[in-house]
Amino acid sequence: MTRSLSGLAAIALIAVLLALAIGSVTIPPLELWQVIQGEGSALNRTLIVDLRLPRTLAAFATGGLLAVAGALMQVLLRNPLADPYILGLSGGAAVGALLAMLAGLGTLLISGSAFAGAMLATFLVFGLAHGTGSWTPTRLLLTGVVVAAGWGAVITLMLAVSPADQLPGMLYWLMGDVSYARTPWPALVVLAVSIVLIMPLARNLNVLARGPMQAAALGVSVRPLEWAVYLLASLLTATAVTTAGSVGFVGLIVPHMLRLVLGNDQRIILPASALAGGTLLVLADTLARTVIAPEQLPVGVITALLGVPMFLYLLHRSR
Amino acid sequence: MIYRVFLLFFALVSSVFADVCATDDAGHVLCLPTVAQRIVALSPGATELMFAAGAGNKVVAVVDYSDYPPAALNLPSVGNYTRIDMEALLALRPDLVITWVTGNPPAQVELLKALDVPQFAIEPRTFEGVSSVLERLSTLAGTEQQGFAEAERFHAGIAALSEQYRNAEPVSVFYQVWAQPLMTINNDHLIGKVLQLCGGVNVFGDMPRLVPRISAEAVLEADPLVILTGSVGGVSDGQLDRWKNYSRLKAVARNNLLFVPASLISRPTPRLLEASKYVCQKLDIAREH
Amino acid sequence: MSTLHTRDLIMNIPGRQDGFALNLSIEPGQIWGVLGPNGAGKTTLLHTLAGLLPARSGRVMLDGSSLTELRRRDIARHIGLVFQERQDSFPATVMETALIGRHPWLSPWESEQGEDQQRAQQALATLDVDHLSNRLLNTLSGGERQRVAIATLMTQNPDIWLLDEPTNHLDLHHQVKVMNLLRDQTSVRKAVFLCLHDLNLAARWCSHVLLLYTNGEACWGPVEDMLVLKALERLYNQRLTTVEADGAPLFVPSIS
Repeated sequence: MTRSLSGLAAIALIAVLLALAIGSVTIPPLELWQVIQGEGSALNRTLIVDLRLPRTLAAFATGGLLAVAGALMQVLLRNPLADPYILGLSGGAAVGALLAMLAGLGTLLISGSAFAGAMLATFLVFGLAHGTGSWTPTRLLLTGVVVAAGWGAVITLMLAVSPADQLPGMLYWLMGDVSYARTPWPALVVLAVSIVLIMPLARNLNVLARGPMQAAALGVSVRPLEWAVYLLASLLTATAVTTAGSVGFVGLIVPHMLRLVLGNDQRIILPASALAGGTLLVLADTLARTVIAPEQLPVGVITALLGVPMFLYLLHRSR
Repeated sequence: MIYRVFLLFFALVSSVFADVCATDDAGHVLCLPTVAQRIVALSPGATELMFAAGAGNKVVAVVDYSDYPPAALNLPSVGNYTRIDMEALLALRPDLVITWVTGNPPAQVELLKALDVPQFAIEPRTFEGVSSVLERLSTLAGTEQQGFAEAERFHAGIAALSEQYRNAEPVSVFYQVWAQPLMTINNDHLIGKVLQLCGGVNVFGDMPRLVPRISAEAVLEADPLVILTGSVGGVSDGQLDRWKNYSRLKAVARNNLLFVPASLISRPTPRLLEASKYVCQKLDIAREH
Repeated sequence: MSTLHTRDLIMNIPGRQDGFALNLSIEPGQIWGVLGPNGAGKTTLLHTLAGLLPARSGRVMLDGSSLTELRRRDIARHIGLVFQERQDSFPATVMETALIGRHPWLSPWESEQGEDQQRAQQALATLDVDHLSNRLLNTLSGGERQRVAIATLMTQNPDIWLLDEPTNHLDLHHQVKVMNLLRDQTSVRKAVFLCLHDLNLAARWCSHVLLLYTNGEACWGPVEDMLVLKALERLYNQRLTTVEADGAPLFVPSIS
């Protein structure tokens, strides 16, 4: 277990260093080392410390958050096709963010609005799916899909009526964009704390994945565990979407790929998802800002273009 | 006029002894320790204005679609005005960045502020605003002679046109900004002001939004005498063909589906003078039809 | 070793009136067979005894404490259950599935040690599925999966074994093997309580029998007292003929 995690951690570190070195201005390793030590030219320092470092850390945190949330949702719903957005979280966050943009609020309030929207969406789905006293994964999924469609309609309406000059900003937010993240620390802290909180519950999740009845028969308190995991997954997703808009694919593909390679033990999959998801998004973001520079691409496009062939290859090999 | 000369004198003198200061269109005062030498223009309009202010040789980077004057095509781009490549921008070590109040993404502008990059936000909304911005930009760039002269030339030209068309017969106009969805402008927009200058009456001038999206029915109801739109080089293209289906429209019956060069009229620059002359001529033709 | 009692237990079967109050005493060393037609409530009874379903009235007592007062984890250390229906679940290997049987014994921070691995390995070997250790569960046949489920229970090693029709899907050889395994558990003082479709298995291996009728009636007792022809015919609504074979009664449907 520790071998695979150390390997992933090493890859993550390399990805971060690459992201710091590569950009519209390539910084050779020697100069990068100088800046890390606290010296180096003023331009390099600005580029690395003020621009690339916060952006890279934000990308890492966002990717990690989405991948862990995806892994949790897949176990919770016992469905390998679940992703963090399946219950309409990103739709709620989007409506919150777009409303704030329309109202002309500053970036901090836009983020806060997105977060509030995401949590509202969570409670809405949970409340609606509760029904006659219990919710099954199917009921939750159906409710989530319908509510997500509802948010989609609201978003479309907002795009249709907003002033023409606001549209590009709104579209970039919807496509997922790490460049807006001013500070990575909230996201990193949430990620770290969540991993610490979830690890003692990881074996319970392994048992829960066998089915709720079986889990109860083996001593798992199923309802409280499901609630806790769902809330945690929502918090992770809300933080990710608040930081970088709705970045797609990471939450679906990363846990999947890891399961193909590393097996189904959540005690490995959850921390591995954090590392691998972070790495994927860091690499994707580096490509997004350099591949057709000075044009800037939304990172969600790159995650799809990278993630899909990787996944197909692994699927093919696992046959 | 005299006032302008004094201002020019003061500007020239003070630039030698003190900080170079100007107030931008967002109300912030920017003071530079010395005149700007490395300027980045973050909109095609800003690029044109910098060249018109005589500071074209101080511009080190522009954004996509900065195609006027032709010399601007040789300058490197730092992305699109909606999405700027911050690294490329910073790598050029600019000492002044001209931003667009409503066009550039607020988050990136805030980032520039956080990194202490001097920036000047512009958004001229009137002819007076265009002259003023030329003067202020030339002050910051230390090219007051050309800048103020250009501002004066523009001002005089607009005043002359205004006088010429003061008593012109009013002509109802619908200006089509975009065909699908159907968009127009109100009288707060510079294009609206150009129409007013030439004695045109914008049928959607009183709408609350700057760039309203309207329905074809609204146009049919308003039944303008002229339908005007911008095209490349002012040549007749297919953008107004849909109106030919409605033969009862006055504009169609009298053959008043007219075109004006898009790049002249769409940017808040001295070329608005040529645009205005063009539009006024077109409206004259329409009056005769 | 633990004992499971029921006190005036009436199961909750939705839409059905209250049945007979059950006062069972499942003691170490006993192997109970529950017989009855489909819909009699055998599965519901099993789930109620495991604490997964609430009773309509009455109580289930584990060593003198009511199940409702105990924590899930403590119950799982004493009572284990093999389900009849396989639930939809996430993919897992055979070994991983057997290992989760150790869950009730490990604290959140512990992970499975060598001893736990050994237990699981032994359990899989006993059920003849150890050669499938690394196969994914959903690639196995019904019978193989059934045996893995039983191996999981064996790994869990509780005092009280509850099994819901464990011999379904199994071929004859493995049916006998499983029933012998269950009897072996009783010889080390465990208690076994299983639902059976096959009356003859009960006759051969069970020490006690519970008959559950569709109308809610129930009767229970030692096997020799319960396997009375008239009672069984009424239970299954089928005429039966009985013969002696190999020292135990054998029941077959009368076709004539």
